[in-house]
Parts: sequence; C-alpha cells; structure tokens
Amino acid sequence: MARMAREKWHDIARDVDWDLSYVDYEAVFPEWMSGQGKIPRDAWARWDEPYKVTYPEYVATQREKETGAYSVKAVLQKSRVFDQLDEGWKSVAKEHFGAVALVEDLAVYAELRMARFGLSPAWRNMAVLGALDETRHTQISLYFAHELLGKDPQYDWAHKAFRTNQWAAIAARATFDGMMMNPNVVDVAVQLPFTFETGFTNVQFVALAADALESGDINFANMISSIQTDEARHSQQGGPTLEILIEHDPRRAQWIIDKTFWASARLFSVLTGPAMDYYTPLPMRKQSYKEFMQEWVAGQFVDQLRDYGLKKPWYWDEFMAGLDTWHHSMHLGVWYWRPTVWWNPQGGVSPEERDWLHDKYPRWEEQFGPIWDVIIGNVNNGRMELTLPQTMPWLCNLCHLPIGTAGSPRNEKYPVRSYPLTYNGRAYHFCSRPCRQIWWEDRDTLHDPTVIERLLGGQIQPPTVEGILTWMGLTPDVRGDDAYGYQWARSYEGSTTKTRPFVTEAVAPSQPAADGLPVPVNAMFADDLITQLVVLLDSDTVDEAARKVAAQVVGRRVPPREAGLVVRLDGRVLPGDITVAESGISPMGVVNVGWAE
Amino acid sequence: MATGKPVGPVLRMSDDADAIIAAIVDDNPGQEVTVVDRGAYTRVSGDGELRVTRASIERHLGRGFEMRQLGGMMSAFAGRIEMTSEAVRWLLKGQESRETA
Repeated sequence: MARMAREKWHDIARDVDWDLSYVDYEAVFPEWMSGQGKIPRDAWARWDEPYKVTYPEYVATQREKETGAYSVKAVLQKSRVFDQLDEGWKSVAKEHFGAVALVEDLAVYAELRMARFGLSPAWRNMAVLGALDETRHTQISLYFAHELLGKDPQYDWAHKAFRTNQWAAIAARATFDGMMMNPNVVDVAVQLPFTFETGFTNVQFVALAADALESGDINFANMISSIQTDEARHSQQGGPTLEILIEHDPRRAQWIIDKTFWASARLFSVLTGPAMDYYTPLPMRKQSYKEFMQEWVAGQFVDQLRDYGLKKPWYWDEFMAGLDTWHHSMHLGVWYWRPTVWWNPQGGVSPEERDWLHDKYPRWEEQFGPIWDVIIGNVNNGRMELTLPQTMPWLCNLCHLPIGTAGSPRNEKYPVRSYPLTYNGRAYHFCSRPCRQIWWEDRDTLHDPTVIERLLGGQIQPPTVEGILTWMGLTPDVRGDDAYGYQWARSYEGSTTKTRPFVTEAVAPSQPAADGLPVPVNAMFADDLITQLVVLLDSDTVDEAARKVAAQVVGRRVPPREAGLVVRLDGRVLPGDITVAESGISPMGVVNVGWAE
Repeated sequence: MATGKPVGPVLRMSDDADAIIAAIVDDNPGQEVTVVDRGAYTRVSGDGELRVTRASIERHLGRGFEMRQLGGMMSAFAGRIEMTSEAVRWLLKGQESRETA
C-alpha cells in the first residue's frame, strides 16, 4: 500500500494544539512545572525535533528491537554461556542492573512530565515516545536480571537497590532526582536528554557493550546497545529545547549543563570506572575508562556544546584531571567497604593488571600502589579484619560519594581533603569545590541528609557497621566480597606488611560515654584515600584522638611507621596533652592527623 | 580521529552494519570516512557532515529498507541529526564557541 511520505503530513499532525478557553494558560502550564522563565510564549512554536519518527514507525521499530533482544536471550538461556562468564564481569552486570533498572523507571516519569508540561505540542509528542522507551528499558533490565536470580541472590538487587538506603542508591537518587524530578521540564530537557543521555549514557550503554561482548556476555551487550538506540532518538528533545533557551537565557542554559555534567561525572566514576578498569578481565578490555570517556564525553559531547555556542564547564581542567584518579579512588573505596555493595568487586590489582594500570595511568603506582600493598600484605598474612571497615567514609553533601574520591593521595593539585562550609550554623562537607558551589546555588532544593548525617542523627541503630549494613538493606547473603576469593593477592605472597591493629566497636556511640561527650569528626590521615567518621570524646587528649583516627587507617591502608602522631587543626599543630574540648576541635569539624616529622 | 569535527553514526553489532557503512561511503564522495570497529559498536565518522540515502542502503542490502529501520541499528551518533524518509544527515552547524581558546 502506497503511503503518503512522512514529511508531507507529520509536522502538521504533531503541531496540532488548541487554544485554551475554559482555563488560564498558567493553570495548565504553571511556571514551576513548565519553566518558561525568560522565554516568551511564542518562542516555542519553532521547537522542531531533528530525529523524526511517527507513531506507526515507532511501533514497528520498537517491535523489531524487542524481538531482536528477546530472541537472543531465548537462545542463550539454553546455553551455558552465563556459567562461563568471568566473576569480575558478572559484577559489572550486577552493579549495572541495581544502579540502572529503576533509574529507567524514574526516567519514565521525567518523560511523562515533559509530555504533560512541555510548552510545544511537538515536544510533548516526542516525550510520549520517550516515556514508552523508558518503560521498555525498565522492563528489559528487570526481566534480564530476574532470569539470573536462581543462580545468584545478588541479582535481586536489580529490583531492590534503588528502594534501599544503600549508599550508592542514595547517591544515585540524589543525582537523578535533581535531574529528573525536582526541576521544571525545560531544565529536565537540558539536564536529562541533552547532558546525561547524549553525554554520559553512551559510555555505560555503548562503550561498555564493547567490553561486554569481548567478555562473552552477548546477552548484556545486546540489551544495553539496544536500549541506547532509543536514547539516541529521544535524547534529541534536548537540542531544540536548548536552542530556544540559549536564545533567551544563555546563562541558565550553561549553568544547568555545567551542574548536571559534574554530578554525572562523579556518579560515573563509581558506576562505570571500576567496571571498565578493574572488573572487566584484563585481556577483554577494549580501552581504559579514561580513553572511553575521552572518546564519548570529552570529545563528542564537547564538540556538541561548542556547536550550540556554549562553553566548556568552568571546572573543565579539574574534570579532565579526575579521569586519572577519581575512579581509582572509588574502586579502592568500594573494594575496602565491599560488604556495603550488592556485587562482588574484583580486586583487579595482580602484577599484570598493575602493569596495565601503570601504562594507562602513569601516576597510578605512586598514588594508589602503596595502599594496595598494605592491603595485599594483610590478605597474605591472614589479617582479613584489617581489610574490612570499622567506620564509614565521610560523604559529600552534594554527590553523596566519599570525600577524598574527587582527588587522590599524593596529588598536589587535587589532594584528599574536605571542602567544608558552615551555613545557618550547620557544618556541611563537600568532596570538591564544584560540588560545594552547586550545593550553594541549589541549596533551597537540596535536603537529602547523607548516611553520616543520618547515623549521627540517631536514625541508624545500633550505630555499628552491622547496624549500618542492615539499615542499608544488605542481608548477609548479598553483601559483597572479593570476586575471586583474593586469588589476585596470592601472586604477591612472600611480601609482608607489619600491622598494628586498634579495635573500636561502635562507629558512633548511641549515648554519651560516662567520661566524656562524643565529638564526631571528619578525620583525614596523611596519605589515605578518603576522609572518614571518627568519634572522639571531648575528654580525650589530642594524643588519644590521634590514635583513634590512626586506628582506622594505619596498618589498614597506610603502612605503619616508627614515628609519633600529630594533629593539625586549621593548619596548626595541636599540643598532644590538652583535651579535645580544650583544643578547639568541634563536632562535625575537620581534623587532620599525620606523622610527626 | 583524523577529522577536525567528526560526525556520524555509531552502529551496534548487526548483520546489516557493513551494508550501511558501504552506503555511507558511496553517499559521501570526496569525504574521508573513518570507520572504527570496537566489536559491539562501530563508529563511522566524517568531517563536519555525513549523509546516507535510503536508495544506497537498499542497493547494498539488495532488499527494501525503510529509513526508520536505521533507528534500530544506531546506538548513538556524533553531531546533530536530520532525518527524512529518504535520507539522514549528521552534521555540526559550526557555530563558533564564545570561548576564546
């Protein structure tokens, strides 16, 4: 049957709109949802999506995509392909399912908000297709993971993770709520389709597919690259919206791209970085995380920004420098705090893997090697308790990721430190200056307490590592452990590291101890990779406080030394014999501990 | 990448990817078309602008093809896109950044 060419009718059909007469325009498209701002109402008439698809075309294409993805799955289900996959690789898939499946569901609502409150009928039309896309992505991600549930209970977290208070889930919710649910739909279109879906999801869904296929996980590679074909289309809602916004309010356009890009980059350093550079088996790695990010984000996305007449974000050099460090810090942190995740992180630092890391990241050995050497010594000496946490990293009030992971040890420009801020009498801590600045600009809409704040507020009981894990929803059967039972460390056997264990039971005391009031501090120990919560007593001497901080680090991630400890507060060395109360150390404050030279 | 402003599709693994790439090469005479194969995806790039027509794709496939079907094969693309039922263009419009760099 001959059909009229799409070009002859589609633009007219999709631009059908009506003039409101029974209700006010503002009641139908309220500013807080529609986000008109400085844009005049008639500017929306020129909104025109470049990737044109009619509904019949949409249905036909989606049917073909679904048939393709599910028929591959049906064939592979009968094979033993899954059982032969590498354990490290399986963790990539587990992490992905938990971190992504219900974010796809959140994106359904983001698309529906644009379908309802978008100011052009063409845009609303395209957003309806976007909502159908994201429904497919939710379903396929849950369904593919569900089939694996019988093989491993960690796959249950495909459905569970996003509804728990697990720390990465909290970080993901904070970022994605800020991208999809809090803002008006003009901001959503620039944040989600333009910045996130054209900039970042390509790395997780297309680049990672290259590693997946090489690792033999045909099903996963097929699923994610199929999903991304939808993204390539509905992400095109961003461009036309951005063009109109730039014309009338370029500062707003630049700002929402800048903040979304930063938050996305922080999240990808824990989601995608470790998957590509540590969990994917060495011979299967197509490129390093940094190389993939350079290809897809630094190259392709920045070309796009320039094409729209926008600048690179103000923190660009810091972001680029972070491609060398953030995800290595994140991997080390995730591995050390492995019971707090729903996948089994592969250590990924055998001598051969270290050679590869050194080759791809010339300062890796200097910055991260010494910490891994302490861990390797403990594994090989049977001191496993020293490779497991007794407290929690201090978390950033914006990205909710550990403070220190936006820098690295032995890094002059971006060191491991907190960027604090006191506002309305409350102490906030940030992993970086950009996180602090974004929080400052958006502070009226950001009210998610971090896990540390919830712990100190008494919401997590008992306030022990076990209590925190239970509160996060991590039952013993799914808590992460090393993917390969620490085999990678055996190749170092013979090397020894002296250990000096200190044992503390509670992370935060549930009631004041008899001899002093608790003083929770954001503590940093020299050469460590993160800052963490340590609860001092105001009656402790500064020397005792130093030992409490050292107990969480020395012999665990930093090698012991025959040297005394010093505490620095705002750059000055505190005398060891005064009490914490006398010293000026305050609750929620930053304390630096290091070796006496 | 040899080009200054690389644009073009990123094709997922499929039986028809080679035919699409051959059609792109045909439809862009005088353009240097770069093809980077990473297994699960193949990045096809030209400088500033690249196009492909339904007629060329049909010629290389040896059967009928609807332009919408390209949507199922294209996981991403560099540049902006313009799509009709007869042809697709990937391009950068070349606005100069306000940045002085």
